[in-house]
Amino acid sequence: MIAAPGLDASPALRMRLADLYCAYADALDEGELERWPEFFTANCLYRVVPRENFEQGMPIALIYCESRGMLIDRVTAIRETALYVPRMLRHLVSNIRLRGVDADGMRLTASFALLQTMVDRPSELFLCGQYRDRVVEEGGQLCFAERICVYDSTIVPTSLVFPV
Amino acid sequence: MPSADGSPFAPSETRAGTAPVRQWPDAGSSRIPNWVYTDPELFAREQQRIFAGESWLYVCLEAELAQPGAFKRARLGAKEVVAVRDAAGAIGVLVNRCAHRSAQFCSAARGLVQEFVCPYHQWTYDLGGKLIGVPFRRGFRGQGGMPEDFHLGEHGLESLAVTCRHGVVFASFSNATEPFADYLGGTMLGYFDRVFDGRELVVLGYLRQRIPSNWKLMFENIKDPYHASLLHVFLVTFGLFRLDQQSSIEMDPTGRHAVLVSSKGEQRENDATRQMRAFKSNFALNDPRLLDPVREFPGAATVVMQTLWPNLIVQQQSNTLATRQIVPIDAGRFDLAWTFFGYADDTPEMRQRRLRQANLMGPAGLVSLDDSEAMLLSQAGIGGDEEALCVAEMGGRAVRDEPHMVTETAIRGFYRYYRRVMEL
Repeated sequence: MIAAPGLDASPALRMRLADLYCAYADALDEGELERWPEFFTANCLYRVVPRENFEQGMPIALIYCESRGMLIDRVTAIRETALYVPRMLRHLVSNIRLRGVDADGMRLTASFALLQTMVDRPSELFLCGQYRDRVVEEGGQLCFAERICVYDSTIVPTSLVFPV
Repeated sequence: MPSADGSPFAPSETRAGTAPVRQWPDAGSSRIPNWVYTDPELFAREQQRIFAGESWLYVCLEAELAQPGAFKRARLGAKEVVAVRDAAGAIGVLVNRCAHRSAQFCSAARGLVQEFVCPYHQWTYDLGGKLIGVPFRRGFRGQGGMPEDFHLGEHGLESLAVTCRHGVVFASFSNATEPFADYLGGTMLGYFDRVFDGRELVVLGYLRQRIPSNWKLMFENIKDPYHASLLHVFLVTFGLFRLDQQSSIEMDPTGRHAVLVSSKGEQRENDATRQMRAFKSNFALNDPRLLDPVREFPGAATVVMQTLWPNLIVQQQSNTLATRQIVPIDAGRFDLAWTFFGYADDTPEMRQRRLRQANLMGPAGLVSLDDSEAMLLSQAGIGGDEEALCVAEMGGRAVRDEPHMVTETAIRGFYRYYRRVMEL
């Protein structure tokens, strides 16, 4: 990962941020959905939005959660109520960049690519885009106070089941 | 005899316009042959008879074309169009094909222009689609140029018939399509005007997904209240839509349009929920703000899902409002384009409620996710045997309005009309 010019990020901080991004992707790729809300603050904002809406300032999101509780509710819904064809989603995260630090925390961006594999089908690129994050420290842990996942395409292939 | 362009061949009849390619298995519409979802020739015939025929096709909301020169691209069946507001404020819908060499002249999804210029040879059109400029039309230094009898007025963009009602834009490739109010009929118009009541609309955003199934399965899904109580565990659990609730299914006289109407119930176990494997009485939300519906329309109904032939679903589920446009790609794929909206006079709380409840809808919707996955499964099964028949006989074989949800009557209504238009 890199920091924007003029930002003083110690090697230790860079390492901790890289670990956060890696652990987040790892929890999802390992199917440990229940761990996903633990990466966020209690009053977090998590949104998955098409670039089209993001650039026009339109608020509708594919997923819109205003608290860790809503993240937990989504996990419960995926586990208990949703019908979906079995699949796996692999998260590739790169170009993590620290863009700013202020009283509200650290502002970061990173690129993501989600590869989807359905039963009896070749793997395919499912979505790609950019995380736009605000990271804070809580109880000695780095976590996301805000994670906006802006995906580049306008079209989602069939359904998004698991978190980005 | 050679034709005017010097070709030795006379123009041939299009195949899609002539004899039906398939034979429907019986006189009714309760058994649906699988080939209606797979046959490419039938798909071509649908494009001609339904999408390019006497239908009002949903294009966009007027709010998306706020000022003169504002345009938005859309796809109506297989044809790309551009909806645009002209200098006088009227909305036109133009086929996105230059009259010169058929290049798509507009590639931005939306924007603001003073005129349309095809990037290939810079043929220029006004906002009404009239051709106003052809570079080197008179040639250069006495050489080249268009023939003397070439008239700009004869080479405008293809333009569709347009009708707007309460902020919603529809277009038709036919000039013989009946007036919109007659096209909907009194009952359907009443439900349409319930959501589109003349108040100014505000677009809240777009979601779009590509579903690997035939486009008609999307209509069938929304015309089928039977599945909703069984498939949608989330809706059922929170009493947002359930078979034991006060409900009805109504159609226009032709059967091509329909509404599903339902009133919210409670999260409580009873005789009906015991038949729904889906029902989970012990599921409580950590953050109840996700479901905090407020009554905002007159009457008891809390859900009204309207299907308008041939490409629109109007969604009112609690406080989440959207148009869902069906865009067929080929026999086995379609795009579903969601436009979420509210009203200009919404309070900030209502606006927030609409955003939260949108979690139930769209390609990651806690409810509609089930539908896109079910359609994927349907098409996968259908592809295995094109001669097999689907059975749509819940509630009998007739087509009539029903005051309950244990019926597939609106699917039968849809196919009764489909057979007529397709001459199948």
